[in-house]
Amino acid sequence: MSVKVNVEEKMGQGVGFERIRRITGYLVGTMDKWNDAKRAEERDRVKHGVSHA
Amino acid sequence: MIHSIIKRDGRVVLYEQNKIASAILKSLLETKEGDASDAARVANDVQRELEAMFHDESPTIENIQDMVEQQLMNHGFGASAKAYILYRANRTRAREANTSLMKTIDEITNIDALISDMKRDNANIDGNTAMGSMLQIGSAGAKAYNELYLLRPEHAKAYREGDIHIHDFDFYSLTTTCCQIDILKLFHGGFSTGHGYLREPQSIQSYAALAAIAIQSNQNDQHGGQSIPNFDYAMAEGIVKTFRKEFTRMLALAVEDLQDLDDALDAVKAALKSTEEAAGETLRLENRPEFDQAVAEAIQKQMSLSAEDAIWATSRARKRALRATNRDTYQAMEGFVHNLNTMHSRAGAQTPFSSINYGTDTSPEGRMAIRNVLLALDAGLGHGETCIFPIHIFKVKEGVNYNEGDPNYDLFRLSCKVSAKRLFPNFVFLDAPYNIKYYKPGHPETEVATMGCRTRVMGNVYDPTREIAYSRGNLSFTSINLPRLAIESAQSAKMELSSRTDSDAECFGHLQNAACLNDIAEKVFYEKLDQMLELTMQQLLDRFEIQAEKCVYNFPFLMGQGIWLDSDKLGPRDSIREVLKHGTLSIGFIGLAETLTALYGHHHGESEEMQEKGLAIIGHMRDFCDRKSQELKMNVTLLATPAEGLSGRFIRIDQKRYGRIPGVTDREYYTNSFHIPVWYPISAYDKIRLEAPYHALCNAGHISYVELDGDTTKNVEAFETVVRWMHDCGVGYGSINHPVDRDPICGYVGVIGDVCPRCGRREGESIAPERIDELKKMYPEMPAFQGIE
Repeated sequence: MSVKVNVEEKMGQGVGFERIRRITGYLVGTMDKWNDAKRAEERDRVKHGVSHA
Repeated sequence: MIHSIIKRDGRVVLYEQNKIASAILKSLLETKEGDASDAARVANDVQRELEAMFHDESPTIENIQDMVEQQLMNHGFGASAKAYILYRANRTRAREANTSLMKTIDEITNIDALISDMKRDNANIDGNTAMGSMLQIGSAGAKAYNELYLLRPEHAKAYREGDIHIHDFDFYSLTTTCCQIDILKLFHGGFSTGHGYLREPQSIQSYAALAAIAIQSNQNDQHGGQSIPNFDYAMAEGIVKTFRKEFTRMLALAVEDLQDLDDALDAVKAALKSTEEAAGETLRLENRPEFDQAVAEAIQKQMSLSAEDAIWATSRARKRALRATNRDTYQAMEGFVHNLNTMHSRAGAQTPFSSINYGTDTSPEGRMAIRNVLLALDAGLGHGETCIFPIHIFKVKEGVNYNEGDPNYDLFRLSCKVSAKRLFPNFVFLDAPYNIKYYKPGHPETEVATMGCRTRVMGNVYDPTREIAYSRGNLSFTSINLPRLAIESAQSAKMELSSRTDSDAECFGHLQNAACLNDIAEKVFYEKLDQMLELTMQQLLDRFEIQAEKCVYNFPFLMGQGIWLDSDKLGPRDSIREVLKHGTLSIGFIGLAETLTALYGHHHGESEEMQEKGLAIIGHMRDFCDRKSQELKMNVTLLATPAEGLSGRFIRIDQKRYGRIPGVTDREYYTNSFHIPVWYPISAYDKIRLEAPYHALCNAGHISYVELDGDTTKNVEAFETVVRWMHDCGVGYGSINHPVDRDPICGYVGVIGDVCPRCGRREGESIAPERIDELKKMYPEMPAFQGIE
């Protein structure tokens, strides 16, 4: 989300990283808008290794 | 004598005169009009008048309060009467505020979405904006009304108590879910979106612009996602038209230069047309060499050029036109994705929930469209942000794009590269056995396409001659709380087993007891499941009845413009009942993993035996849907529910009811559909292998994802291997998740842990202006900020 920024912010002060994640098949640009249940699920997600079994 | 009064909630209580006297006294004291003895006198008159009116009957609270007001006025205490009336009105307002609808609206109005989980039910809505809030308020009102007046009591009870979840319940009386929009058909001859007519588009730019308009217009008629199943085929047509324009323009310019003319355009157009007629071939991105020769000869004759010049001009025109068309196409695709990410044209200030399917058009124009839409997706938005919409779905097909040597293989490779960075495209596998059976080469409408989170509409029991993806969609879906059925069955089984006598030969001994428990629980589970399936089916049919009573004019775009299959055969006031039957009624579910754990102690990621049990349950549900489809001659399908809001709803209710059952209700969410739980350690290969067979069973829609570790952009080969494994296992729809992070300051897109790999910043930290300048030299595409010189 873009907003006009003041001098500190344009240097990065207070600016976080954007973390886009797939929710139920579509993407949401920020975890802020996810409901509590989906947030909990995202926290629990483990990575799946790709080296052959 | 008055003995009792009737309270507002209907209770009958003793009549107490001193209560009335107190209320009167309060008003008198407040206005300083009277004292206790005045209050007693008024109260006596109130009683006397009530007795005269009601005799032995019981007056209501309202009757009494009316009488109090009247007597206060009769006794000349006007101000007190007024005070009493105001007090009464305030009490009424307070009472209404206590109803749950008002409470809901209060939460919507006053609580920040960060705190209110209810306001984050749909992550696509910004619950803190005016339009987002207005949609949520409307939604709350509609749900309250629908539950009171439109649902059968047993369905309302099941919904309220969390046995089922009726999706998009706010739209219950209004519309259907989604549709695959055949934009080729829509564009031919032009169309209208309400006021004003849009002519058939004549350039790739217009094709792209109108595609966005079509999605946005249809979004106003339905509550679900909008999709284009034939994006590449449609854009290809626009590319043909643009190339023609560019070619004739370039050729005319060359001729004008050669012959020192002001305007050779019409002459060139005429030459081209006559060549096409003679050659039986139209101008395309690629033509036979003889065609170009014939064009050269035609302009040579027409414009009195030398043969050399004519050939040179034609060849230059083609090269330049190709470059210009490719550039125009890229810009059109860029505009398209920007539009669908930034136009908040869906109710509630949302961007439309859009999807586009492509990958199988092997014509040069189709390939140009696919390549450029992938490149636009790769580039991202203005500051390199990842596009959220549309969902891109690449249709994987052997012989078309999957294997080396296939005409679009390079585009499949490109799609993997882009997806490794941007999370899209997702992949739909046309060769999966349940998809390939519909496929007819040369008939793109028989290629499976998806929309929204994962909706799939392909088979057609209502009309088996129209088993196509185009112009159809889902009508509604309702999900069953499978874990609850399992929990209750397990509890039932425990009770039954403990009540059996020792002489029961089947169940003695500790080991046998456990197996017995599972068997009883399983038997009870299937009984309960059958009941719930029947209830859900009935509810879906009730909702269909409401939808079927609507007319074409209720869907000005979807039906008025003939988007929905066969709606073009209907007039504005015609019933849509029959054409709606091309759509699907879907029964969904959540939490297979928790269901298995409740019944048997383990989920299907843990053993092959549990996998068999899981397949048996879902297979049983699918059999029910197939039977109902045949009985009703409608499309009843089984859905692996996306479950956004639902992921928390059922489990919250179940936790209250049953407490925290390990592996079942001890988290804040139920696992999605048939997925292996997200927290369970398992390799990507095993997860895909285990989930794939469920895709075949869930014909209303399904998806599998894996979470990859590491930065997949650095290892596209690994990414592609996973996609190929999905294909080999018979997955129908799959995608690969990896963290996509972005630092808005330096524009880096990739995996960011605590420290940005490009500029070294931590979250919230600032960096020195000199450092920014340094970085800008190294990374020219870095975002620029307002006010920096």
